[in-house]
Amino acid sequence: MLVPFRYNLRSLFVRRTATLLTALGIAATVAIFAGVLALEAGFRTLFVESGREDLFVFLRPGSTNEGDSIWRRDLADRLAKTLPGIRRDASGEAFASKECYLAVRRFRVGGGETNVPVRGVEPRTFDIHGDGIRIVAGRRFRPGADEVIVGSKLVDRIRGCALGDVIQLNTTPLNVVGVFESEGPYASEIWGDLDRMQAALVRPFPNRVIALLEPGTDLPALARRLEADKETPAKVLTEREYLAAQTGALSQVLLTLGSVLAVVMGLAAIFTATNTMLAAIASRTHEIGILLACGFRPLAVFLAFLGEALVLGLLGGAIGCLIVVPLNGLETGATNFNTFTEVAFAFRVTPDVLATAVVFSLVLGLLGGAAPAWRAARLPPVTALRRQ
Amino acid sequence: MNKLIRRSLLRHPVRTLLTIGSLAVAIFLLCFLRSLVTTLSAGVESANQQRLWVQSAVSLFVDLPLTYQGKIDAVDGVKRTCRWQWFGGYYQDRTNFFAQFAVDPEPLFSMWPEVEIIDGSKEAFLEDRRACVVGAGIARQFGWKVGDTVPLIGALFQKADGSAWEFQVAAIYRPARATVDDRTFFFRWDLFEKTMEEAMGQTPQVGVFVIELEPGADVPAVMASVDGLFENGPQRVQTTTEAEFNRQFVSMVGNVPRLVSFIGGGVLLAILLACVNTMLMQAREQLREIGVMKALGFSDRSAALFLLSQSLLLVGSGGALGIGLALLTQPGIAGFLNRYFPGYEIQPTTIAAAIGVTLVLGLLAGAVPARVAERTRTVEAMRPH
Repeated sequence: MLVPFRYNLRSLFVRRTATLLTALGIAATVAIFAGVLALEAGFRTLFVESGREDLFVFLRPGSTNEGDSIWRRDLADRLAKTLPGIRRDASGEAFASKECYLAVRRFRVGGGETNVPVRGVEPRTFDIHGDGIRIVAGRRFRPGADEVIVGSKLVDRIRGCALGDVIQLNTTPLNVVGVFESEGPYASEIWGDLDRMQAALVRPFPNRVIALLEPGTDLPALARRLEADKETPAKVLTEREYLAAQTGALSQVLLTLGSVLAVVMGLAAIFTATNTMLAAIASRTHEIGILLACGFRPLAVFLAFLGEALVLGLLGGAIGCLIVVPLNGLETGATNFNTFTEVAFAFRVTPDVLATAVVFSLVLGLLGGAAPAWRAARLPPVTALRRQ
Repeated sequence: MNKLIRRSLLRHPVRTLLTIGSLAVAIFLLCFLRSLVTTLSAGVESANQQRLWVQSAVSLFVDLPLTYQGKIDAVDGVKRTCRWQWFGGYYQDRTNFFAQFAVDPEPLFSMWPEVEIIDGSKEAFLEDRRACVVGAGIARQFGWKVGDTVPLIGALFQKADGSAWEFQVAAIYRPARATVDDRTFFFRWDLFEKTMEEAMGQTPQVGVFVIELEPGADVPAVMASVDGLFENGPQRVQTTTEAEFNRQFVSMVGNVPRLVSFIGGGVLLAILLACVNTMLMQAREQLREIGVMKALGFSDRSAALFLLSQSLLLVGSGGALGIGLALLTQPGIAGFLNRYFPGYEIQPTTIAAAIGVTLVLGLLAGAVPARVAERTRTVEAMRPH
């Protein structure tokens, strides 16, 4: 027969100062762990979920991101023309565009230097992205003009990125004529006309080609064909794959940091929980004697106190989650170590993050409560009864 | 009284040990986190005053024309310059990360007095075009010895036939200070230039120019004249002190220091709660003793002091253990982080901060029960409960 659970709940309530202090300690541990996880989730979703499956990115073989990938202009044009299965509009014009990309040095509004991507695009890029790129203030840049539009996430963070400002690139001043929104990392970029950006940056080559392909294109076959192509060898990925590959380094750093913190702080939280449970059991030795004398088996007593520790852990987990939930949506910036550029993203407290946090708190309670519960179950009833 | 304090703490050895354990872990964590932040900015502090760095004003990833060198050399106050180019290759596998630079061999040693050659010689590097100088860290990791041939795969710069670049280890260097990286690979500019001419049909460009100043040179004037030389292109440059040059990389890491202090705050809060918890338990159980003490004539004050001293002793041991743990693990952690984050070192200020935090924790955790002990009337304390 099990000890009624109410007994343990009441006991937690009677010793509420100790319960609360312990639960808060567990909560702080859980909150920090969940906070780092939410940061990683936000960063990952920004990249992965905004990537399209029908949009294809063409890089030079051997490069892992567009910063490394350098196309000769004529080869990029040839690729766009000879690509099989490319989607075309009613007038027969292909949905393909060359883009150039460079991380430029800029200053944050609050001081400090950072790298912001500048992307030169062809007019066709806007048709390809459709609703993915939305002008929310001003207008698009005119082709061939020294004008740029800036991602909405830059406006308040980077100096000189408000509508009407002038951005100096090398010797060329560029007018900011519009602000655009996007769900993905594009919202942390500056966009301008391909030819004008190449001239301003004195870099006469595009970095990647993007194109829409007909639905049902066999990607592995296309990738093999392009890799073996004698004249225009290329590496092809879907935009989603491309963006997912860009998250590797920072995700790994955050996950490692999160795990190290979880283990080290978790250890401290377990010690605290053990202390609290030991004290709880010491002051209830007499009661435990009564329980055992009533005929409750040691296993039942063990489970009862383990349950009490689990509730303690869960309480801490719940408070920890409550601390973390308000972080959801909070914007922050971090450097994407793959391209060395700064990207703005929001904490995402996803159900997965919360579930991981709760499981973590239960594990803390379990590990903290196991030894004390074992000690309680092993008490000889007679001695226990004698203790006041 | 001292004996009583010790005995009271040892009354529940498990509880005391667990509290000390969690404190040690927390203080260790604080030392570790703060050291991450101080190490990050250590490069800025270790910067050499005699060197200036000339880089593109536009982007880290933009190179400068070779012809800039002669013009910079002619500026008043410039003793000499050294070309640097980031090679971005790898040894055997892409995951074997370390920095490689093509540099002018002559100035390399005279301009960087903070590194010393521990094996091989400077002369060997100057004689052979295929020579390279490697840091002791990577030499150890890959088992390179002086005279070995090291093939590197060029990811950014590929040879005409696509084969690996081959270098001969001429010397192994060791930094004189922990904040200088021991995992860098230097090879000669002339080899780089010749190979790239064969591959691309044009001379390669320069990543950064490093200036060695004449003694007593007017630093702001030199920076302004170098920047002014290329005001109208083709590539604008920005000349900065070495400290400023290093600081831009720290700044790019972004919010990390703030994130770390946030985490540190959480650790502190958790551990404070744990200490208060233990001390309240101690006080509750020692109420009768306190009553006895008071009945024997000890003052309210000494009763409070009795609990406060327990708290300080308890927290102090935990803190000391944590600091010891941090110092003990320093070589191990430094070795582990070295590949991506060289120079992990616990600064004396970090230890001072840890001691300060420990004292404050001890006082705070002891204050509440001490107050209870002070306030409780003798008769009440002695009543069985």
